[in-house]
Order: sequence, then C-alpha cells, then structure tokens
Amino acid sequence: MKHPDRREFLQSSAAGIGAAALAGSFPALASAAEASPFKPEKGAELQLLRWKGFVAKDDEIWAQNTAKFEKATGIKVKIDSLSWPDVTPKAALAAQVGSGPDIIMGWNDDPFVYPDKLVDMTDLAEHIGKAHGGYFDLAHAYCYDGEVKRWVSQPIGVTGNALVYRKSWAKDAGFAEFPKDFDGMLKLARGLKKAGHPCGFSLGHAVGDANGWTHWVLWGFGGKQANPDNTIAINSAETGHALDYAKQLYETMIAGVSGWLDPNNNQAFLAGQCGLTMNGISIWASAKENPQLFPDTANVIPPYGPSKQHTIFNNFTSAFIFKYSKYPNAAKEYLRFMLDTPQADPWVTGMVGYVTPALKGYADLPVWTSNPNITPYRDTMAASKFDGFNGKPGKAAAQALDEFVIVDMFADVCVNNMAVKDSIAKAEKRLTTIYKR
Amino acid sequence: MTGRPQILARLDSPRVLGYVLIAPAAVLLLGLLAYPLVLGVWLSMTSATLGNAGEFVGLKNYATILDDPIFRGAAAFSVLYTVCAEIGKLTLGLALALILNQRFRGYRAARSLMLLPWVAPTVLSALAWLWLLDPQFSALSWLLIKLHLIHDNVDFLGHAWPARFSLIAVNIWRGLPYFAIGYLAGLQGISKDLYEAAAIDGATGWQAFRRITWPLLAPITTILVAFSSIFTLTDFQLIWTMTRGGPTDSTQVFTTLAYQRAITGGQLGEGAAIAVAPIVFMIVLAVIVVRSVRER
Amino acid sequence: MFLRRLRLYGPLALYGVFLLLPFYWMLLTTFKPDAELLNTSNPFLIFHVTVEHITDLLTQTSYLQWFANTLFVSVASTVVSVFISYITAYAIIRLRFPGSEVVSTAIFLAYIVPPAILFIPLATIIIQLHWFDKLWALIPIYATFLVPFCTWLLIGFLKNIPRELEEAARVDGASNFAIIWRIIFPVAVPGLISAAIFSFTLSWNEYLYALVYMSSSTNKTVSVGMITELIRGDRFQWGQLMAGALIGILPAVLVYFFFVEYYVAGVSGSVKE
Repeated sequence: MKHPDRREFLQSSAAGIGAAALAGSFPALASAAEASPFKPEKGAELQLLRWKGFVAKDDEIWAQNTAKFEKATGIKVKIDSLSWPDVTPKAALAAQVGSGPDIIMGWNDDPFVYPDKLVDMTDLAEHIGKAHGGYFDLAHAYCYDGEVKRWVSQPIGVTGNALVYRKSWAKDAGFAEFPKDFDGMLKLARGLKKAGHPCGFSLGHAVGDANGWTHWVLWGFGGKQANPDNTIAINSAETGHALDYAKQLYETMIAGVSGWLDPNNNQAFLAGQCGLTMNGISIWASAKENPQLFPDTANVIPPYGPSKQHTIFNNFTSAFIFKYSKYPNAAKEYLRFMLDTPQADPWVTGMVGYVTPALKGYADLPVWTSNPNITPYRDTMAASKFDGFNGKPGKAAAQALDEFVIVDMFADVCVNNMAVKDSIAKAEKRLTTIYKR
Repeated sequence: MTGRPQILARLDSPRVLGYVLIAPAAVLLLGLLAYPLVLGVWLSMTSATLGNAGEFVGLKNYATILDDPIFRGAAAFSVLYTVCAEIGKLTLGLALALILNQRFRGYRAARSLMLLPWVAPTVLSALAWLWLLDPQFSALSWLLIKLHLIHDNVDFLGHAWPARFSLIAVNIWRGLPYFAIGYLAGLQGISKDLYEAAAIDGATGWQAFRRITWPLLAPITTILVAFSSIFTLTDFQLIWTMTRGGPTDSTQVFTTLAYQRAITGGQLGEGAAIAVAPIVFMIVLAVIVVRSVRER
Repeated sequence: MFLRRLRLYGPLALYGVFLLLPFYWMLLTTFKPDAELLNTSNPFLIFHVTVEHITDLLTQTSYLQWFANTLFVSVASTVVSVFISYITAYAIIRLRFPGSEVVSTAIFLAYIVPPAILFIPLATIIIQLHWFDKLWALIPIYATFLVPFCTWLLIGFLKNIPRELEEAARVDGASNFAIIWRIIFPVAVPGLISAAIFSFTLSWNEYLYALVYMSSSTNKTVSVGMITELIRGDRFQWGQLMAGALIGILPAVLVYFFFVEYYVAGVSGSVKE
C-alpha cells in the first residue's frame, strides 16, 4: 500500500490522533478527521515493559514517540526495559500474580501461555491491520487464536535473522555471489574453513542464535516438530537429513560454537575470526565502527533447502495487555499510535530495520532499499515459519523452545557424536512429554 | 524499682522477654520464608502452570521428574558440583589460612585482597570469567599458547566435562576466601603452646598439622562445610550466567532446571517439585550442623 | 632464610594470581578501547588507555543511582538484620526460655530454602503487601536470609561470654534492658561486626530478588541495573560492565580492609570451645 502524499497523511493522522484523544473530554475539538475508535479512560496512566533495544536508536526513538503520545493525550507512559530474554519471565510473573505493567512487549508464544489473562485485542489488531496493508502470515500464527477466533496480542514484528558474511572471503572460496541453496552453502563453508576463516553457528543455549539456525535447517529439509493436531512429527526421514547436513556443516565451523551464547558470534565476526554467521542486523550495524571490516561485510537472505522454500526462524515480538490493567483502552490507543506511520516510520528507519514490522504496509518504507544490506531483513518475515511448526502455538511450543529441544537435538549429533536416530528419539521423547500436558 | 509500670515488670520474666525478643525474627521468618516455602511445597503437589492454579495431584510431579533423564542428570551434577567444589574450597581455603596466619609484611593487605572473589557480586565476576574462558578471546588460552603448552584455544565451556570442571573451578575461586577467613578465625583459637610442646617432642610440621591443627579445626570445618554446601547445592547465578545449563543440559543443576521449567517453561508445579528436591539433602546437612552445635 | 621466604611468598603469589586475575582482567577491560578488546597482540596489556567506559557509565546510565540504591539497601538490611539477630540470639542463648531449642533449630532450617524458586510464591505475598517496586521492601526480604546466619554466629559468640557478667549486673540491680544493651552488647561487638560484614556482603551481591521485585530503573541495584541495561540484546558493553563491576566492589573492599580483623575475631569467638 503506497501512501499517496506522505506529508498530507502525516498531518491528517497527527490531527486525528490528537483529536481522538481529546474527544472524550473536549467534544468541541473533535474534528472531522478520522477519529481513533479507542477512547482512553479518564486519568489514565500506563506502564509499558519492553525489551531493551538491540540498537540504541530503537530505545531512543521509541521514547521520543512515547513523549509525542504523552503530549498529545496527556497520558503518562512509564517505560521499563529489560534484557530481551528477561521479559518473558517477568511477563509470566505478572500473569501469575495478577499485577504488573499494563502493556508488555513479549516474545513468540508468550500470549498463548496465559491467553485468558489477556485483553481481547481483536478490535485493535483489525483496525491497525486495515490501516497498514494487513499482516504477514507469521503474525497470525503468533497473535491470533484460531480456536476462539480472536487476537490475543498486537503483532509488532520480528528481530530478523539473515546471514552475514565477508564478501572477499566468499569470493576467494569461489562464490562471487552468495549460494542460493544448502548445498552451495556447505561448499562455501568448506572453502571458508580451508582459508582459515570458518563459519560459526551457535550450538549452545543461545536463546536467539542457536534456535535461529537449527530451525532454519530443520525446516529447510522439510522436518517439523509437530502436526496441526499437536501430535509429534519430529521423527522423520527429513529430520534425519537435516541432522546429517548440520553435522557436515559443524565440521567446517570455528571452535567453541557448542558453548556460544548470543553475543559470541557477534564478537567472533567483528574480530575477523569468523567469516559467516546468522544474526540480526546488529553485526552489520556494529561493523560500521570498523572502516576496514564494514565495506567487506554483507547481509543476505539465507538460502533454502530441499523443501525449496525459505524457512527462516525469527523471534517474534508482540504487545499484549493484561486484564488487570485499569486502562485497557488507553493502552490500545497507545499501541495504535506507536504503530501508526508517523511514529513507526522513524522508528523502523532510525534503528536501521532491526525490527521487521509485521504490517505489510511498512515493507515499503524507503529504509529497506536504502542499502542492499538492509533489504534481506525486510524479506525475512515473509520467509519465516513459527516455532513449533507445524503444531499449534501455545504453552507446549513455548516450553519446547525454551528448553532448547531442537537445539540440543542438533548439538547431540554434531558435538556429542550421538547417532542421528538416537538423537531424534531423545527429542521425540521430550517433546511427547511436553505436548502431553 | 517500685513504681515501675506493670508492663515493664512483666518483661523482667525471662519467658516473656524471650518471646518478645524473638518476635521480630519470628514474624519475619514465618511470614517471608516459612509461608512461601509451604506455598512452594503445596505448589509442587499441584498441576499449576503460569496463570492457572491447577489441581492437587499429590506426588505425581515428583514421579514425573524422577522419570526425566534431564532431572536425574541435573541432580547428579548438582551433587558432583557440590562435592568437588567443597573439597576444593576446604583444602585450598585451609592452606591459604595457614599461610595468612603468619605475620609477614603486608599480611593485612593480603588478607583483605584475598577476600575479593567472595566480596564481588557473583553476576559480575561470572561475566568476567565468561570473557576469560571465551573460546575465541580467552586470555588464559592466549597465555597457555604463548607458553607453548597448548596449540589451540581451549574450549572451556563448549563441551560437557570441560564446562562442568570450569564451573567447579569458578565456584572454588569464589568460595575459597570464605573458608580461608573461617579457618583463620579457627586457627587463632588454637593455643601456640600446643605447637611448642609438639616441637619439643620432635614432631614434624605435617604431624603437628594432623594431630593438633586438623582435629581442633573440626568444629569449624563442620560449620563451614555445612553452610557452604547449602549455598553451593542451590547455586544459580554463576551457572546461569556462564552456560545457562548448556551445552545440551550437561551443566544443569536443581535451581537452573527449576527456574527454566517453572518460569520460562510455565510449568510451576513441576518446577516447584524440582526446587523442593534438594531440600532433602539440605535437611541432612542442617541436622549435622545442629547436632554439632548442640554437642558443644 | 631465603627458603623460608620462598615457602611463604611462593604459594602466596600463586594464590594471588588465581584469586586476583579476574580483577586484573576487570581493570584491563575498563581502560581498554573496544577495538583492542577484540583484536590485540597481547590481551594482558593496554595499548591505548581510555577512560571513556568510566565516563560513559557514569554519565549515560543510571549507575550512580543504582550504586546509591545498593548502598542504601545494604546498609539498612545490615542494621536491621544485625539488630534482630542480636536480640534473637540473646533470647535463645542467655534467657533459656521454654522452646528456645526449637526456635534455634527452626532458624537453621530457615537456611535451606533456595531463593531461585522461593521467589514465585514470595512474589504473591510481596504483591499483596503492596511492596512491589518499593526499594525499601528489599530490606525485610534480605533479612530473611541474613538473620539465620547472623543469629547462628551471635549464638556461638554469646555462648562464650561468662554468665558471671550478667549475674554481677543483676546483683547490682540492673534491669534486663540494661543488661542487654549496656553490659552484653559492648562485649559482643566483634561478633556483631562479623555479622554486619557478612550481611553487608550478601546484601550487596544479591541479584534475583532485586531483579524480580524491583521494576523501575530508578529502583535497580548495581547488579541488576548493569545486567539489564548494559547488555544490549547480543552485544555486551564489556568496558562499561567491567568498569561498573570494579566501582561496585569498592565499598566492600573498603569495609573489609578496615574490619577484616574484627571479622576474623568475631567468627573465632563464636566457634571457641
């Protein structure tokens, strides 16, 4: 969806927001402009818990936008931020004790772990979706409860995963252009290892990185964790092929990946020791500080496997409102405001596309094409699958992801030299226990 | 004495005064420790998940975790971790205390510097160690390579056994000052006359240690080990920061697994059961402490 | 003579290296520019000293606030815990009232509860008391794990104070109040200092409760603030983290430097036969 005249749109929507917010208390000021359907409660005050931005600009611009909201509506919003893996437990605690922040920007299956504690977001999600071109399928998987037919959470986007590599080293290994499929990638990895610039993908309990690449490979071969009825589907020939491939890839990797947590691949790449890894845009963004490294660093959408489709795993972030909140309408209005173009545009652009929005409309923002290294992150959402694929999102998928069942299955084969069928059996047993509840 | 208000006179009775004095501690510990503990045990006997109270299921959670190889592994490593770390801390701490018990130049500075590992916040020390043991950037590996003792960087935390021993080593590093100071205190209670008498009898240093020092340190050894073991068996932050229980769950201990299952996994009942499990060990330890204190 | 020196300073040096290496590392990392952290010919040296990590830490983060919070909570928890422990220990060991044995045992047993799981049921209670996100609430919470050990320490210490002291005071007509505070208290000072040092250390280092029960940035303690705000996603701000760690150790180091003798004497007094 193309915005005909950006400036016009900005002006009208700014007026609309201000008007809508004040309409409750000053009916005379309600203009003919599009009024938001969400009328904040009187005397509302909000508390938002979100994850700390991976890039500083994220937090900065989000705070600026929030200040705009405060000015326009008089509603104070307190933002608390935590390191991203710490948000899920904090949200769980809030759900458990029935008190805490009004809005939480959580991850993946969070809203499905305690859906009955959350405010129905259908009106908000549909309103925003309509205004910005609809959502990518992934958003439905993580935020829409098909059984009760309602939105439990407001989709925001993913912290996209793509491959980052050193162009000159890839060229030396015979790949002037990045390979398009898994076989090519293995060849490249072998070439890189021979030249002393090995690739590296985490096999430790790295919440983001380890889950990222193992799911990508698993699905790339057609393997999957569960079926739509939540029976376990991990035990298949496809899974076996994925593990065989991973083992060969592991042999080309840099030493120590089995203990890598999330920051390790960043550090190894930025130090020039690792030539290829999977990550969010933060590696490339950090490389800017190094004038020798930066021009040689490139991002590319990860290749596909025999399933002939892109099968990326990204961490999905969405915002949910707890029923204990005294100001759910104010909360909804806040989210609507923050995801509206005048706010979302500078936010996505300013953080160099770190978060790929779930709204299709924002795929047209100029930032994505401002640099060819940013474009792969735009496409990462459309190319994704959700965790627990192809089962139902919810407590079981969340627990399986949290326990690194898939990651450990790969690590057992690659690092611990377990036989493929034994590793699959172990994962199957654990998944069966988890999904049985 | 006459004319004092009735209530103050009442307080003269040891019984009344006794209850009054322990009241703050009682309220505090009953309200903020005993009650949540009971709640936690109750939780472990329900099928509670996050946001859902669940129902009473008796000992089912315990049966489930006993059947779970990950739990059994965590239990085994918790015990191994504790035993190895305690032995390490005891021996190295005692040796250090023996050294620090002498008067040498700078002994006061030495005593306080040696305490740093125990005094520094664990979370931050763990991060420093993470960097020191990094597979790519470890300064220790660098040093060993420079000394031509090894060829490639050591992978401290990437495989099961190296990771386990690395964690034990860091725990020893953190806890040995506690033992050293405790033993220093104990050593000061041993009269020098005993050593002089032994020297006159021709005993060697080692014999003096075995016959005098070690037995006389027995009470403080018991106390130090018992308290320290309780902390070590329920260690959380060190392991969580450095490996998060990985690689492949090889460094899981009771608390990390319980935290993972209960909080991030949402299985409160099961997580609570895992947390209650080590209490059995700790009751044994606590009984030992109480008995030894009573004996004196 | 030389051999004796070697036998003393040799092992001492080894211990020194083992125990202090990570702190040397913290020092290095604090003053090392980021570029050098990832790429250097000798990680034990600094080639271009920088103080930007320290200045950034102090100006761009709420570190000073966190430091003040931690100091406040640690000192207050210490005072409260030592006070409660002293009167409790006195009651148990000097007053011998019926049930004192039971209380004594109960206090030890209070130690065997892992905070890593207690924090969920405890959270429900904290919420009900409206203590959530109130910094001072950490004081009674910390007291729950400080009081048991301090009570034990003081029980051991008070046990060794001769009864004659009290009996003489009673003969002179002193009230119980006077005995507790004017007679016994001064004698118990080494034990009290020990307990205070121990309490201060544990409070200063506590992480989990402060993480879960405090929420606003202005209520965070040093450990919590640094972990949650200086680790950006997948990038550790090593320089600032280590600078914060170093500065964060200073109070405890100062306390120990001046009071370690008391600590040793206190523990010694409490385990004397």
